[in-house]
Amino acid sequence: MTNENPAITAENQDELFRFIDSDTISSEKITAPRYSYWRSVFRVFFRKKINIAVLILLAVILLVAFIMPIFWPYVPFENVTDPKSFNLSPSAAMAYYGGFSFKWLLGTGNVGNSIFYGIISGARTSLLLATICAAINMTVGIIIGAVWGYSKRFDAIMLVVYNIVANVPYILLITVLVYVIGAGFWSFVFALTITGWLAIAYFFRTQVMIIRDREYSLASRCLGTPVPRIISKNILPFLTSVIVTLLATELPSYISYEVFLSFIGVGLSANVPSLGRMIQEAQTAFLVFPWEFWPPVIVASAITIILYLLGQNLADASDPRTHM
Amino acid sequence: MKKYMLKRILFSIFSLFVVVMVVMVLVYSLIERNVIFQTDDTWNKKSKNDRIIYEYTMYQKYGYLTWTDFSRFLETKYKEVYGSEYSKQSDFLNDRNAIQKIDSYQDNPSVQEFIAKYTAEGYTIRYLEPETYKSGRVKPGGTGYLLAIHEKNPLLRLVDYVKGFFTIETIHDVTDPELTDRYTRWEKDPYSGLFAHVGSGTTHKYLLYFDNRFPFIHQNRVHINLGVSYTTYRGQEITSVITSPAGELAVKRQQYPAMLGTDQYEDTAINFHSLRYNTGVVSEADMQKFPDKYTIYSYHRAGLSMLENSFVIGIIATIIAYALGLPLGMLMARRKDKLADKLGNAYIIFIMAVPSLAYIFMFAALGTSLFHLPYKFANAQVKVLAYVLPTISLSLPSIGSLMKWMRRYMIDQMNSDYVKFARAEGLSEKEIYNVHISKNAMIYLVHGIPASILGCLTGAIITERVYAVPGVGNLLTTAINSHDNGIIVACTVFYTSLSIISVILGDLLLSKYDPRIKLSEEGGGGR
Repeated sequence: MTNENPAITAENQDELFRFIDSDTISSEKITAPRYSYWRSVFRVFFRKKINIAVLILLAVILLVAFIMPIFWPYVPFENVTDPKSFNLSPSAAMAYYGGFSFKWLLGTGNVGNSIFYGIISGARTSLLLATICAAINMTVGIIIGAVWGYSKRFDAIMLVVYNIVANVPYILLITVLVYVIGAGFWSFVFALTITGWLAIAYFFRTQVMIIRDREYSLASRCLGTPVPRIISKNILPFLTSVIVTLLATELPSYISYEVFLSFIGVGLSANVPSLGRMIQEAQTAFLVFPWEFWPPVIVASAITIILYLLGQNLADASDPRTHM
Repeated sequence: MKKYMLKRILFSIFSLFVVVMVVMVLVYSLIERNVIFQTDDTWNKKSKNDRIIYEYTMYQKYGYLTWTDFSRFLETKYKEVYGSEYSKQSDFLNDRNAIQKIDSYQDNPSVQEFIAKYTAEGYTIRYLEPETYKSGRVKPGGTGYLLAIHEKNPLLRLVDYVKGFFTIETIHDVTDPELTDRYTRWEKDPYSGLFAHVGSGTTHKYLLYFDNRFPFIHQNRVHINLGVSYTTYRGQEITSVITSPAGELAVKRQQYPAMLGTDQYEDTAINFHSLRYNTGVVSEADMQKFPDKYTIYSYHRAGLSMLENSFVIGIIATIIAYALGLPLGMLMARRKDKLADKLGNAYIIFIMAVPSLAYIFMFAALGTSLFHLPYKFANAQVKVLAYVLPTISLSLPSIGSLMKWMRRYMIDQMNSDYVKFARAEGLSEKEIYNVHISKNAMIYLVHGIPASILGCLTGAIITERVYAVPGVGNLLTTAINSHDNGIIVACTVFYTSLSIISVILGDLLLSKYDPRIKLSEEGGGGR
């Protein structure tokens, strides 16, 4: 091969090109823009105006439910000795107690209790119950579900357990537990969480099993990645949107569940203010004393809808395919 | 496949046993049994030893234990010797008074006999010391008692329960020696005009017969004994409680068996297919009306049974749900992000998020005020209208959930290769959606169909309570509240069997609907 450009000689080639040392640090740098998963989740989440509105509404409800009971303590049986104060409509209650007051804004219940204060305290109970139960059940359910879906030996054992526990009537289990350990708030939490995680774990098991046998997990396993690392790095991140969707249905479901259990008479004890109990007490006369029935129903519904909407929209936002 | 099904069924039966066992431990061992006295006035009025005796009587009634006491033992002992005059004999009186003396009661030979007999049978002996004043007079309720108590072991309880689960009538069931002619044969049934399998010597006369009541073929040969109610239905068997018709007597012109062939008629509501053998004394009047000793009967009633009420409401609601939910879900998927989809989503969010209690009440208020439909079941003037509100209330959540899943699965299928191929072939969008996509989306939904049909048999708790429907939905909850352990166990068996059967049926239906899905790993060779 002949040199086509005789002007470039060995000398002037050195002037045009210089050898430099290889820089290990800058070779590691990636020039793509910084990407944070959660930041882009929230960017997508706040792009929808309705989410901001719902979030503000939730903040207001939280503030009212957790701060106002300090100033407006709810005493269910304060007027129990005064039959004249029972089942008063808002206007009658204000007339009976002499003028306008927030306490009688929604009238009185069947033992002369303030409906308005009851709703605020009941909302606090419902929110606390939902948060605590969802936190416990989701944590336990996801950890056990992840192992359950991953390990085939554990799967065989857990399926037997699941088939048995899932067939014991849930109402019976809760009732028996409430009888055995009392009807307080914490025993109710215990009754709802003792087997509540199992359904979540079962749902999660199926999801994990689908991801478990994907090629990239197989590759990780071939490279000798330890199991906990495969679960936490390969499988769980893929299921983030599933987890958030689950949370969106779980959180409000405990509020509905408390209402349902109170309705059939297995709810919290009488001294714990609860929306479910108020609905249950007013349901027989809901056409006669509507002010006792509809406010707790509306508040319970509003809280569940808000939590559900927020959860669903967060789940949509947590799917990376929507981040473009 | 057969081997697989056999394995599944055996495993299901095993888990059914374990579930029953767990429930038995829960209700009989975990709940403090004295809660049954919390609102019991009789218990409050009784004191000292009398109260303890009352407690044991009640515990036996609720099925916790069996017990007997010394005077019952003496009664059988001296009855053999003296006949019915035993209670006047001095032997009896001496023995009975022995347990009122704390210092000498154990020296009494009858007491020793009692203790030896019942200890050998596994009973625990308990002596309730008499409580007396200083004068020696017995305090009220303070009489002394000697008891033998047998606590039921959970495992034995399960064995006993399973043993009595099925009973099959045979011609040797009636022990009456007067009955010599024992047979089962096919005879012409005078009450239906068709043939019926009739028995003599069996408890029921008609073993298999046809009539005009749903399900038209009835049998009295095999009985499933789920358990006995202790309190709410006072000693009745649960299966008969939930299946026997309620309501007013349905009187019509009928002939008693002895009148057959004559032109005598009588207005009566007796169901002559329910005749059972009378082991006692047959009254004069019955002797003239019946040619044999099958003289115990039940009545025809106009209303439906608890199970039928729940099933009618449930099955219509299920049909409505599938008939509305699936097409609406398909519509939502086709009009994704358009108005129809948005409206549908709003409905789904409402149904999913609002407590079911709340929207059932909202619906009840709406239905009664706008359409003047009957609210409480019993108050309905026209019986059919009483079913309208409960049925629609029950279908609301199922419509929502079917819409949600149908939409989800259809949208997931929309980008599949076969859809693109169908478009390339020039098929109309309507055909692609209604025939091809929906068929594939249904694969995910067919599994739940048996569960939703069989689930109708368990009733609906809230709906039935709100509208006061006499159905089976509240059987379990009322049983729990009244500590009716027999019903609790029976309900568990019933619900668990239904859920097990519906899962198996669902799997079968799924593999029938989509032959690609195989339940068992079959051997190679493409068989």
